Amino acid sequence: MIEFYKEPFTAQQSLESLNPFVRNWFAAKYKEPTPPQRYSFKLIREKKNLLITAPTGSGKTFSAFMAVLSDLMNLAIENKLEEKIYCIYISPLKALNNDVYRNLNVPLEEIYKDISIPLTKITAGIRTGDTPTKDRQKMLAHPPNILVTTPESLAILLNSPRFAENMKEVRYLIVDELHELVNNKRGVHLSLSIERLAEQIGHDFVRVGLGATLHPLEEGAKYLVGYKDEQTPRDCYIIDATWDKKMEYIAMCPVTDMINASDELIENSIYSTLDGIISKNTTTLIFTNTRSGTERVVYNLMKRYKYDESSIAAHHGSLSREVRLGVEELLKKGSLKAAVSSTSLELGIDIGSIDNVIQIGSPKSVSRAIQRIGRSGHSFNDIAKGEVIVTNRDDLVECSVMLDAAKKRHLDSAMAPQNALDVLAQHLVGMSQVKKWGVDEAYLTIRKAYPYHTLEKQDYMALLEYLSGMYVGLESRRVYAKIWYDEKEKTFGRRGKLTRLIYFMNIGTIPDEVAIDVMTTENKWIGSIEEEFLSRLKPGDVFVLAGKPLRYEFSRVMKAYVTPAPGQIPTIPPWFSEQLPLSYELALEIGNFRGRFSKVLKDEGVGKRKLTIFKKKGKKVPEWRSILDSMPIDENAKSSIYTYFAEQLAYTGIVPNDKLMLIEKTKDPENVKNLLVFHSLYGRRVNDALSRILGILVGDFYQTDVAINIADNGFVIATGEEIDLDKKEIENLMKELQEVDTNRMLKENIRRTEMMKRRFRYSAARSLMILRNYKGKKISVRKQQINSQFILKAAEEISPNFPIIKETYREIMEDVMDLPRTKEVIKGMAKGEIKYKVIETDVPSPFSHNLIATGAADVIMMKDRRRHLRELHKLVMKKIGKKVESDDAKKGN
Amino acid sequence: MNPMMLRKGIEIIDGLPVLYIKPLSAIVCTDLHLGYEGVVADRGTFLPKVNLKNIKEILKKAVEKTGAEQIIVDGDIKNEFSKVHVEEFNEFREFVNYLRKELKIKKIILIKGNHDNFIDQLKRPLDIVVYGQEALISDFLFFHGEELPKNKEGSTLIMGHIHPAITLYNNLGIKEKLRCFLYGKMKDKREIIVVPAMNYFAEGVGVNMENVKEMAPVFKKMLDIDRMKAFCIGEGETFDYGEVGKLRKLNIY
Repeated sequence: MIEFYKEPFTAQQSLESLNPFVRNWFAAKYKEPTPPQRYSFKLIREKKNLLITAPTGSGKTFSAFMAVLSDLMNLAIENKLEEKIYCIYISPLKALNNDVYRNLNVPLEEIYKDISIPLTKITAGIRTGDTPTKDRQKMLAHPPNILVTTPESLAILLNSPRFAENMKEVRYLIVDELHELVNNKRGVHLSLSIERLAEQIGHDFVRVGLGATLHPLEEGAKYLVGYKDEQTPRDCYIIDATWDKKMEYIAMCPVTDMINASDELIENSIYSTLDGIISKNTTTLIFTNTRSGTERVVYNLMKRYKYDESSIAAHHGSLSREVRLGVEELLKKGSLKAAVSSTSLELGIDIGSIDNVIQIGSPKSVSRAIQRIGRSGHSFNDIAKGEVIVTNRDDLVECSVMLDAAKKRHLDSAMAPQNALDVLAQHLVGMSQVKKWGVDEAYLTIRKAYPYHTLEKQDYMALLEYLSGMYVGLESRRVYAKIWYDEKEKTFGRRGKLTRLIYFMNIGTIPDEVAIDVMTTENKWIGSIEEEFLSRLKPGDVFVLAGKPLRYEFSRVMKAYVTPAPGQIPTIPPWFSEQLPLSYELALEIGNFRGRFSKVLKDEGVGKRKLTIFKKKGKKVPEWRSILDSMPIDENAKSSIYTYFAEQLAYTGIVPNDKLMLIEKTKDPENVKNLLVFHSLYGRRVNDALSRILGILVGDFYQTDVAINIADNGFVIATGEEIDLDKKEIENLMKELQEVDTNRMLKENIRRTEMMKRRFRYSAARSLMILRNYKGKKISVRKQQINSQFILKAAEEISPNFPIIKETYREIMEDVMDLPRTKEVIKGMAKGEIKYKVIETDVPSPFSHNLIATGAADVIMMKDRRRHLRELHKLVMKKIGKKVESDDAKKGN
Repeated sequence: MNPMMLRKGIEIIDGLPVLYIKPLSAIVCTDLHLGYEGVVADRGTFLPKVNLKNIKEILKKAVEKTGAEQIIVDGDIKNEFSKVHVEEFNEFREFVNYLRKELKIKKIILIKGNHDNFIDQLKRPLDIVVYGQEALISDFLFFHGEELPKNKEGSTLIMGHIHPAITLYNNLGIKEKLRCFLYGKMKDKREIIVVPAMNYFAEGVGVNMENVKEMAPVFKKMLDIDRMKAFCIGEGETFDYGEVGKLRKLNIY
């Protein structure tokens, strides 16, 4: 049973459940247990599975550890404490692990100081990818009682026979930062490791999950505890202390008018705002959303203001261990004025006294915003302080509504990816290395993990076939096969001398963060950009890197070549990055806000005549002003939001919202393409599906290629000059949308997109088809690079149900897109609850600006490939004809 | 589907990456990279084995359409970046047997690329004619392309090695990279044709995007690649795209 535990125990009851030595130490140091501790001390003592959500500084980690220490202390007193691992603590981030380790050793030392009788010491040890070899070897010989580790390291340790032996007595498994794991493949990977552990040691253990913000909590609990057998989920109590910390936050706009300010002014203002906040606080933690964003902020702050290496530092996953540890140390000491991180410092119990958190750009979910802001304020009674600095007009509205939602405690939901075949492939290889398995035996074990509870037998079997190299002839199987699969006996086991190392060195679910080197055509290195960014570039696009505008020329393998473009205006916005999607719930809230706010503005006549002055003197406060005043945003944000909406109203008379989809027919600035801008406020995951379905319909009907751009607040369908849909045709299109079988349509047509190729590649890497480390050598990304489309085509020749292909489709249809919500939206249209209106504009309206500026995210190629090539030929020859004419004209012919 | 004539006697068949030289009754192909998957598997990427199968299918179509009696492979039978692999031996033997037995090819001629020396030991057992870097057959001078052709004779040169392709963007900014043949005249007035790679996994080099002068000495010294004409292939068709130079910095979007 998964249930909420509503009533905490008294402080006395909680303390009494602890071993006396531990109790005395705790009471002397902390006086009272914190709210989560008033549940956990007793419940863990009673061996109950628990999920605890609580903010930073609420003693979450101790809520788990004190009970464990207590139990171990009791063992020590009975002289039964051996050199074995009794508790495994898992957290997804190395930064956190260092911290936890440090914080465990403090109580351990202090508790024992006050004990006069000789007792076996409880030991703690840390094992992550960073642990030096000699420490690893020491740990083998002298395993710690409490092991602190990461999900990937756990998967490795399961396969180390000596280590596995040391884990036989595990009684407690603590998973921290659960919210970071529940909704992605990393968490899926961990869930299998946990079931493998239980199977390997032959018994279960107490599972404790710790997290900050998580919703729905039941989902988190189910993920944590999994299934006892085919039918029955394991039990779990949920303790929800999410909102127990005081927080102050605000969305800040760097300029008074975000709509009409130049990129340069916005950029300068962002930095001066940052400087202002940093100087007012002791230590500020700054989050950007990308690694390159982190580097850029540090670079600019140092260049523009008086900061240097001793006062400001960057922290992200691509930095070396030494560098990261160094930054963490400086933070703990309080000597840094600011630390800038992408996401690596998002988690953790304590990195010193951060008194302020700044987020640049939208964190994309209420949970994440709260999580990050909650990193500030050292102890439980401190107030957490944070600002979100918005970087563009849509960011502006999004963050304002997001923080407002946070005030109202509206969280966004997350779901675990189900039946991910690529992650399973990794574990099957791992499992095969440990022992010989019966096919059915393994199947049952796997299905105990919540994300695999509905795994289909045939998908599982197809995976066994793939891993045993059945897709190549016998003579190649020796090299290709990663497991030995005996179809007659229905067993599988280890195969290949190199497989053990393959497993150890290729574990992981995050695709290698590919940094594309940017070089001039003279081979001078300028900087690096993300792969996602590169995929949107076309020759001629101008972007800024290292402070210089550059013109993109071409790319080869993992290098992009550019020429300097001094004085040219960038065509791609500087803070652009492909981020995590906005949740559906939050998107609806933004849509709702738009509806309310624009109605109020309209009622006051704003938009119909010229823009009214923002600050009206005297008189009573207009309603739109009160709405803005009630939101946690600064004056600049208020004036920018006002201007944004007023201009949209002045331009089109309508502001799209959650009940009104605006379809804007317009042309791109160069006048070459016809654009259909759908102001569809349902979040990226729904828009991803909607845009593709509509794109497929347009493409198939008019037999043309279609380019699409997808964002959280809308999407664009671009067609060539000749394909110009009129209002009637657009309305027919919308009617067709309501009648289509969305699942089938998407399944049949996703193949024709770029996304398919990219995701296939990631899946192939996870499924160990493309290794990043082989025979003890790291394979450079350059060498890994064979064009995905060829590998995909080759795989399709084997079978369309090839597991990696199947997984790619699944990931796209279930994790990337949100089909159930998409169907909901379409149904809403059919019922008339969601209306749509088609308008035509000569110049794109203010609300469509961002959608168009960021270029095409993907394409849907027309079905008839031959026709596509013929059209391409025609277009090119036509353009060249013109070029020849103009060249001739220049020569004076 | 009409074959595309580059000039009298030399044709591209059905958009296949092979050349048909009528006066020699020969199909010319290059850059096979047999055993490619095996070599790549050594580097930790486990590709389905489709290269040899695909090459066989292409040659079958070409031979059936033209009735050609010879096959000339203009170098890079195997990859350049590895030592000889047993897979390469095996695939090469299978390749030759297929040509002989299934396609009834009477004469098989190989021009070696820099790394094809392993073929020498198979010359006699497989009964194939093997040339070092270049071969003058009638009026046609075949060379692989890694070195400058030394022979001053022959009115038409044929090379491979650079895996030519043309990168294009359509009006929506959709990228397309098409393998192509290059056809032009050298500074010494001789004709030259560059044949695209046969390897299933060869993406090709966008010659209209990059500076390819360094890729083969013949581009540096003996001709201007921008004056060459590009014939792109795809989906069974051939497209005449005209001069490479005109395909540079072409922004349609």
